[in-house]
Amino acid sequence: MEDILYSVRDLNVRYATRSGDVHAVDDVSLDIRRGEILGLVGESGCGKSTFGKAIMRMIRTPGRIDSGELWFDGADLMTYSGRQMQSVRGGEIGMVFQDPMTSLNPVQRVSEHLTETIRTHEPKVSELAATARAEELVEKLGIRRERLDDYPHQLSGGMRQRVMISLALALRAKLVIADEPTTSLDVIVEAKFLDLLRELRDEFDLTILMITHNIGVVAEVADRVAVMYAGRMAEIGDVYGVFAEPKHPYTVGLLNSVPNIDLDAHDLYKMEGAPPNLLSPPSGCPFHPRCPKAMDICAVEIPVLHEVVPGQATACWLYDEVGVAGG
Amino acid sequence: MVENLVEVVGVRKWFPVAQGFIAGLTGAPKEYVRAVDGVTFEIRKGEVFGLAGESGSGKSTVGRLVLRLLDPTDGKVVFDGVDLVSLSNEKMRTLRHRMQVVFQDPLASLNPRMTIGEAIEHPLKIHMPQFSAEDRHARVLQMLDQVGLAPPEFFFAKYPHQISGGQRQRVVFARGMITAPDLIVADEPIAMADVSVRALLLDLMMQLKDEFDLTYLFITHDLATAKYVCNRIAVMYLGKIVEIGPLEAVYTNAQHPYTRALLDAVPVPDPRHRRTEPLPAGEIPNPINPPPGCNFHPRCPIAQAGICDGIEPVLLPVDGDPEHLVSCHLRTGEYQDLDPFK
Amino acid sequence: MALQTPTSHEQEWREDLRKVGFVRRLLAGRRWYGTDWWLVAISAVMVLGFITLALFPSVFAPYSPDEQAGPRFLAPGASPDLPVLVSLATSGITELADLAVPTGEPRPSVGVVRGVPTAQALNDRAQELNQELNGTGMELRPRIARFDSLDELLRAVDDGTVVAAVVQSTEFEQLAGDFPTVGEGMSIAGGVSSEGGFILGTNQIGQDVFSRLIWGTRIALLIGFSASIIALVVGVPLGLLAGFTGGMLDRILSVIMDSLYAFPGLILAISITAVLGPSVLNVIVAIAVLYIPTYYRIVRGQTLSVKEELYIEAARSIGARSSEILRKYIYPNVIPSVAIIFSVNVADAILTGAGLSFLGLGLPPDTADWGIDLARGQGFIQNAWWLITFPGFAIMLVVLAFTMMGEGLMEIFNPKLRQR
Repeated sequence: MEDILYSVRDLNVRYATRSGDVHAVDDVSLDIRRGEILGLVGESGCGKSTFGKAIMRMIRTPGRIDSGELWFDGADLMTYSGRQMQSVRGGEIGMVFQDPMTSLNPVQRVSEHLTETIRTHEPKVSELAATARAEELVEKLGIRRERLDDYPHQLSGGMRQRVMISLALALRAKLVIADEPTTSLDVIVEAKFLDLLRELRDEFDLTILMITHNIGVVAEVADRVAVMYAGRMAEIGDVYGVFAEPKHPYTVGLLNSVPNIDLDAHDLYKMEGAPPNLLSPPSGCPFHPRCPKAMDICAVEIPVLHEVVPGQATACWLYDEVGVAGG
Repeated sequence: MVENLVEVVGVRKWFPVAQGFIAGLTGAPKEYVRAVDGVTFEIRKGEVFGLAGESGSGKSTVGRLVLRLLDPTDGKVVFDGVDLVSLSNEKMRTLRHRMQVVFQDPLASLNPRMTIGEAIEHPLKIHMPQFSAEDRHARVLQMLDQVGLAPPEFFFAKYPHQISGGQRQRVVFARGMITAPDLIVADEPIAMADVSVRALLLDLMMQLKDEFDLTYLFITHDLATAKYVCNRIAVMYLGKIVEIGPLEAVYTNAQHPYTRALLDAVPVPDPRHRRTEPLPAGEIPNPINPPPGCNFHPRCPIAQAGICDGIEPVLLPVDGDPEHLVSCHLRTGEYQDLDPFK
Repeated sequence: MALQTPTSHEQEWREDLRKVGFVRRLLAGRRWYGTDWWLVAISAVMVLGFITLALFPSVFAPYSPDEQAGPRFLAPGASPDLPVLVSLATSGITELADLAVPTGEPRPSVGVVRGVPTAQALNDRAQELNQELNGTGMELRPRIARFDSLDELLRAVDDGTVVAAVVQSTEFEQLAGDFPTVGEGMSIAGGVSSEGGFILGTNQIGQDVFSRLIWGTRIALLIGFSASIIALVVGVPLGLLAGFTGGMLDRILSVIMDSLYAFPGLILAISITAVLGPSVLNVIVAIAVLYIPTYYRIVRGQTLSVKEELYIEAARSIGARSSEILRKYIYPNVIPSVAIIFSVNVADAILTGAGLSFLGLGLPPDTADWGIDLARGQGFIQNAWWLITFPGFAIMLVVLAFTMMGEGLMEIFNPKLRQR
């Protein structure tokens, strides 16, 4: 059986807005297996970033986690106190954000930042040892030792992202959550960064949750892919399976609307409508107003995520539920 | 009948770097950011001309130079036979209705205090004062319909923050098209839209192009998208064009090592085709002090010492094809035979 | 069936909008903005209240501010303790003038309690009346007899030792029951009625503190609003121009404004009023000059940052003239921050105005103004604390109301500008 590092069960996250409550993450369950790179894709407003923050318990007012279980390495993080969570963040789960400029202290040299963070999490480590660890790691990531004395604005975007990763590694995090890590990077730098992620996963036995809207990036680097829509999980499965034979109509549409540089120009699929207004989401399946295959039941009942072929699960009424009486 | 709508000849844009006080006193040589460093190309009437490159390549600056939102340090920009730089500010202003721009960020390029109707109407007010207010209003409603924002009266009164991102980008298109321009400079027009909406926007762009007989300068970093819409494409690196030609030719027969690397690096949405080629070493150098000779030589897998690090290459035809030009010593010109991969 | 037609999509939008109508949004704002909503709501009510007072002071104030309506130094809530003439009910003497006798006749004796200031009041009043009787052949020069206690005094009235007595009406009422033969006459203070009641007391010349407070609102708000408006009208266009054009104009203006700004506010205002002389208009001008740099700086800063926004470049690209860009694109985006500053500014202006008049500068001395009241009342802190407490309190409340409103609005509007 797969070794599951992080098991999220029935997570619900809501945001209070002036016009009402937004159900940003709606009953999402997800298992992250040890050592895999799991790609979480979706468009803006689908809830993937909120999900990433929620599993680090970093949701703040006006948002809140309504319900759910967060089983990280055998412990339910929902029961953790603030202090315990502080040591989990960084120490066990690292996060890499989209714009590293805002996550690095602009008035602190990179080496100081790294050393300080290491020593905050492991107070017993001496300053010398912490610096040595930081330098070693950063070299592994392809940054010369001397660059550590620079300030963040003196490094390029790609280098800053690598610094963020090295932070996660330095603290020996088991899981790295990368939220749109390459969106602000150029194509070639992005490609190198993805290569790096793969190498790190192999060498350090890292588990990576890659949150992105870029389908190509996911195809390039992920082992499994999860597709979110309007706060719900639409499809999840092995990356080859999902790309070759997507089951959920949204996934089908999404994959067909992305330009593929390798193919001769084929018509891009144009999806009707627009992502739903989360203040008053559609009844039943949230995708039904835009779905070319919608049936009567889709407007009435919310479909449940279940396995349709080995290794691939989807939430769609097109596929008979396995094991439910009456099919 | 001018076949070339836009001609850019030897254009340079160097931005001075602010000097420290002492440095200014001691007469230290001034430094410049060479955003655009000698660019020559033409945009033909009715085509979609792509300008591709990574950040720092200068493509956005070229776009602004073509529109004369910036004045070139050197060289000239000719629009429909008229040298833009020679025009007075006032004359330039009145010419603007023939060349419009669509920026990347629709929320940032719309005045948050103007309704959509007012924003679209504004260019009309400026350039076509002969229209009465009712005429203008009708024209705006018609435009809203044409870009797919229906019912138009509903959107007329809305503010930019009240509609979705995809809808906003349509508004920006509407504003650009309302004066029936000849040229549209689209700077990353779909980069900020949702993935599922991009195809619709591209479709709209092509539709409008046919309807209004437009010419596009399509600036992008996304080579995959460029493939879908461009007729010809130029690839820029550090302020210079390294390769230019018809889309087919450049994509299937890329000559410049940088173009090859760029095409290779684009993530393909198909896990069976993962990249295996090695990537160029290093990162994009500082545009204040570009490498001598060929800009790309420090990262180039086939750079030849003695040639590539000393002499600047120029755009020359590939295999005698005047349409497909590349700027590389080892692909064209006298040093062709030294190409180790030939 | 599955695809939404454009009209049904539009209907959805319309319904959503209806659900969030203005009043609903106003109330829903309670939960969203939390404390800030309450701040703005409460302070807005207060501000409206003050404005109403300033516009219709005669409706709320029982007396005119200059009217010497009551006794001096009357404590808040106390009914005026007027000295009255008491005598045997049978004597027919009801007021002080009844005690006048033809010249040469024996002078009547009037009793007072030792140590109570009624003797002084009696003497003053008698002298007044005596002056009036000059030449009529009558005179009023009562002989004053002093007794140790009220009880003794009343007994003396009762048995005729004195013709009449002057006592504090409240004290007399307490003992009136013991002396049924003694009746209360008129007050000797000359026909002053005590019906109005002075809720907050009276000041040293007998003016009603409460009325002066209400009338003072008018001056305070007048100065506050006028000064702020003038400063706004001058400072905002200058700031826009400087920020937009830059160059020499910007430099010169900024130097001027910075120098003004660097001056300690009150000192600048003092010097201006000292030069111009005391009048309401001069105070307004002085304070306005004080605040022009504030508006200038804020507007200039905002203009500089808005100038760099993409929609300004877009405006240039469609061929808009500079004047149009300034008017239609920059000005509307800069104004919201000004509106918020205005509120806090009014508070500050009122405070400065009060400070000026406290120092005796600026306002003509007979104006009903809180600062003037404060200045005049300081000497009497010991005996008559209400003379400075209430004007001080009023200043504090008004300043608080405007400041709270400004701060609350700032919290509410600034994030909104960044929201989708």
